[in-house]
Amino acid sequence: MNNKRILIAFDSSEHAFRAVSYTGEMVADMPDVHITLLLVERLPDRDFFPDEEQWRAECGERVRTRKEALAQARAILETAGVKPEAITVNYMVSCKSPFEEALVCSTGESVVEDILRTQREGDYGTVVVGRRGVSKTEAFMFGSVSNRIVQETHTCTVWIVS
Amino acid sequence: MSAEVRELVRTYLPEFPIQYCKSLVTDTTQFMSIDYGHVIELGDVHYMVYKNEAERRFGLEDPKYWVKRCHELETGKRKILKLEFFETFPVQVGKFSVECYRSPDKESRILDIVRGDSRFMQGITIKDAAGRNVRVLEIVNGRRLDLTVDRIDVEHDVYFREHLPGLLRRYLEAVRAIGMLHRHGERHGDIRRDHLYVEHGTGNLCWIDFDYTFHSYEHPFGLDLFGLGNILVFLVGKANITVQSLEGMGLAERLEGRLSSDDLSIVIPNRIVNLRKIYPYVPEALNRVLMHFSNSAEVFYTTTDELLADLEPCVEALESEYGRKPE
Repeated sequence: MNNKRILIAFDSSEHAFRAVSYTGEMVADMPDVHITLLLVERLPDRDFFPDEEQWRAECGERVRTRKEALAQARAILETAGVKPEAITVNYMVSCKSPFEEALVCSTGESVVEDILRTQREGDYGTVVVGRRGVSKTEAFMFGSVSNRIVQETHTCTVWIVS
Repeated sequence: MSAEVRELVRTYLPEFPIQYCKSLVTDTTQFMSIDYGHVIELGDVHYMVYKNEAERRFGLEDPKYWVKRCHELETGKRKILKLEFFETFPVQVGKFSVECYRSPDKESRILDIVRGDSRFMQGITIKDAAGRNVRVLEIVNGRRLDLTVDRIDVEHDVYFREHLPGLLRRYLEAVRAIGMLHRHGERHGDIRRDHLYVEHGTGNLCWIDFDYTFHSYEHPFGLDLFGLGNILVFLVGKANITVQSLEGMGLAERLEGRLSSDDLSIVIPNRIVNLRKIYPYVPEALNRVLMHFSNSAEVFYTTTDELLADLEPCVEALESEYGRKPE
């Protein structure tokens, strides 16, 4: 486990941007640090749309906005003082993407599994995730990424940024 | 009235009053205008529509114009035809509004997955002449689970000893069936007690209506598991018991001051889940399973396997205590 390798689980939400800003402030002056911004692509189900065209259009829009957000997140880290060469952007494509195939892709069933697999395989010592602050009922119905990361990781440090 | 329809009806349904025959329908796009007397043609098979399906809840009838009850003319069998209809609507689940989508293609996929599995309604998908998805469904020969339980006209303690073990034994299989869907990456999407039928004769449980879908969150099967928990609480209680209904049940005085928010459903605020407080003979182990769906739960079931691991021993214990009876 490499403590200077930091994985930020980024989903383009306000909480995720907060996590990025916090990380930048905390580690900008740390020598040999390396930060990966990981965004796991989540595309809408094909079942939500009456036809392929509308689905592809929505997917395209989502991909565009998420990639823009990733670029903004990167800029925040650089502004905080993190060297550009110390930042990696990892956009994990969905296995159901109509645009591209990838050797490593997200099945869409569990973002947490995708994050923790990336953490293990990349030997990240720290995972950073923003917390929305869901109620217990919401966590029961819809799950909570931050709660599950804390419950399920055993091999790294977790920063939850509220 | 078309000559073709008249000829089909004369051949296959001679008792049908010919004056009510309408036209032959090959394009089901405008399903609102397809009604009694129309004949839908799908490939070489013809379906005489005799009514729109309606959902009955809380004493009110809610017509489903895209679902037609039909005679399959060539075989004489009664079938249900679900016509292509996409819609998006919010569904209230407790205090949450969840965006739901009606997806014919999703239901078609599941019909293919569950073909031959008697735990699910059976059907096939045929495209009409305009390419519309039409699901031709076998009618489940049974009664809704909630109506079946309502008709068991005995006191709760008698129901608990003599009927519940058998019902739960069958319910375990219904839970396993949903687990099978999940392993295929699919969700039922609308698990409720009126979407589970008790087959006449066998008493086996059969799921219907799998065309709902919703956004997948970090807990993709959460809504299905919530539905399974609701049905389980209903079965053990022989009803959905709310704080408000205690008065009518004559229990308000006995339970005054004894119930707290911890005893209530985590999603439906007034529904009592801690049934052991109402019926002390509910075993602790079974009550613990129910309490996973309460406000006091810290750990939730995320898969049907987790639910089954806890529920199966409870059913065995009930059968051991009260004897295994056919239901």
